[in-house]
Amino acid sequence: MSAALSLILMSLLVVTALAATFSRDLLAAVIIFSGYSLVMALLWQRLQAPDLALTEAAVGAGVTTVLFVAAIFKTQRMEEEAAGDEDEGEDGGGEAR
Amino acid sequence: MKKVISLCFILALGILLLAVVASMPRMGDPQSPTNTHIIDRYLERAEEETGAENVITGVILNYRGYDTEGEVTVIFTGLAAVLAILGREKRGRVHAYPDRSPVRSSLVVRSAVRFLFPFILLFSLYTVLHGDISPGGGFQGGAVLAAGAFVLAAALGLWSAGRPVPPWLRYALEGAAPIAFFTVGVIGILGGAEFLTYMLPRVAAGLQPSLRTWMTLFIELGIGTGGAMIFLSILMALSREEGEPL
Amino acid sequence: MTRLAENFHYVGAVLLFCIGLYSVIMRPNIIKKLIGLNIMETSVFFFLVSLGWKEGGIAPIYGGGAEPSRMVNPIPQALILTGIVVAVSTTAVALALVILLYRQYGTLDVDRLMREEELEAVPPGREGEG
Repeated sequence: MSAALSLILMSLLVVTALAATFSRDLLAAVIIFSGYSLVMALLWQRLQAPDLALTEAAVGAGVTTVLFVAAIFKTQRMEEEAAGDEDEGEDGGGEAR
Repeated sequence: MKKVISLCFILALGILLLAVVASMPRMGDPQSPTNTHIIDRYLERAEEETGAENVITGVILNYRGYDTEGEVTVIFTGLAAVLAILGREKRGRVHAYPDRSPVRSSLVVRSAVRFLFPFILLFSLYTVLHGDISPGGGFQGGAVLAAGAFVLAAALGLWSAGRPVPPWLRYALEGAAPIAFFTVGVIGILGGAEFLTYMLPRVAAGLQPSLRTWMTLFIELGIGTGGAMIFLSILMALSREEGEPL
Repeated sequence: MTRLAENFHYVGAVLLFCIGLYSVIMRPNIIKKLIGLNIMETSVFFFLVSLGWKEGGIAPIYGGGAEPSRMVNPIPQALILTGIVVAVSTTAVALALVILLYRQYGTLDVDRLMREEELEAVPPGREGEG
């Protein structure tokens, strides 16, 4: 039972990490990362580390997430397309002129 | 081509690490080296030597006190770096801070945050003060307080988050953690022992344990408030409008 | 092979480390790289704390009749507590640099940034001179 619970939590961890990596929308990636921190806090409790669970929940889901959101509001929200497409567009525009 | 090489590198690293994991002792084995050599001695004598029932608080404040002092220096340096990069709001202008959220939060979010914030405040104070008898301590309480202030900032705007603490108090409290460490360390010297020692020979033997608890509590309060103020100042610096006077 | 199945916490930590490394190396956006860095850091913390776990272990806190011989190892937990705070500090400084970078160049894509730097590195009109 206990091993199965840890296994489920860890696969959830891997899934959220993959989702945060491959999401195009940066804001969505950051919120998914906050979910990753939550699952990590649960795993700390499974490993009998209550101080770490408290700190990870507060720091990961509170501090780091809001700092990322503040930075995203000051910069850009969507990840840019692959650099190859950008190159084509600029060259095409320059030649057309 | 570069992408293929990078992917192969990551795959090779993963396989190498998995090979190492396969040769490690079974996890949780009571006979493995991490569970047998010195840890029993520290677990048995932690309460009498550090006066803390929470062994982790005893370890970070007593056995590894210098590491914790280095760590508060690290977060303070982080704040200094962020302020050096982005600048701080001019004194007295935090009252005129524009609200950072482009749209107003919904009524549900605002009401929920307003309702929860006093409890978060109380819980963080409880966590800091109960650091040595239950899970908790300086960092944990400071992180909870910072998270509460951040939630307030995210839902109600930066002005609401900065209002409970006047700017001059926030600037003064940012250095609270290193100052608390240094003060307790000097008290250790004045008491006739080394820097950052808690059992002082010059004090009467009956008073030594309570003095140790007071010193530990002072450090924890310093770390808690200092950490929370540092995180709040970092958020304010990150949200500062470009072109505002330095 | 059975050892890998028994140590599935370590396997999960290695997997997360590789996912974070993939994000740092292969994603061109800087904020994605920072998220990957955070995933790598937390995976290492996870590995170190699960090293100290003991079967049937309890949290290292006295009170309520906890016996010291059953407690898990508290040393990695204390060190990782420090590590978590250091991780958030470095993330904060990195985000400050990201904001400054965006103000200067208007983009967060590393490939575009490197090409713009090369274009700016050649001072206009001086190719003729020695």
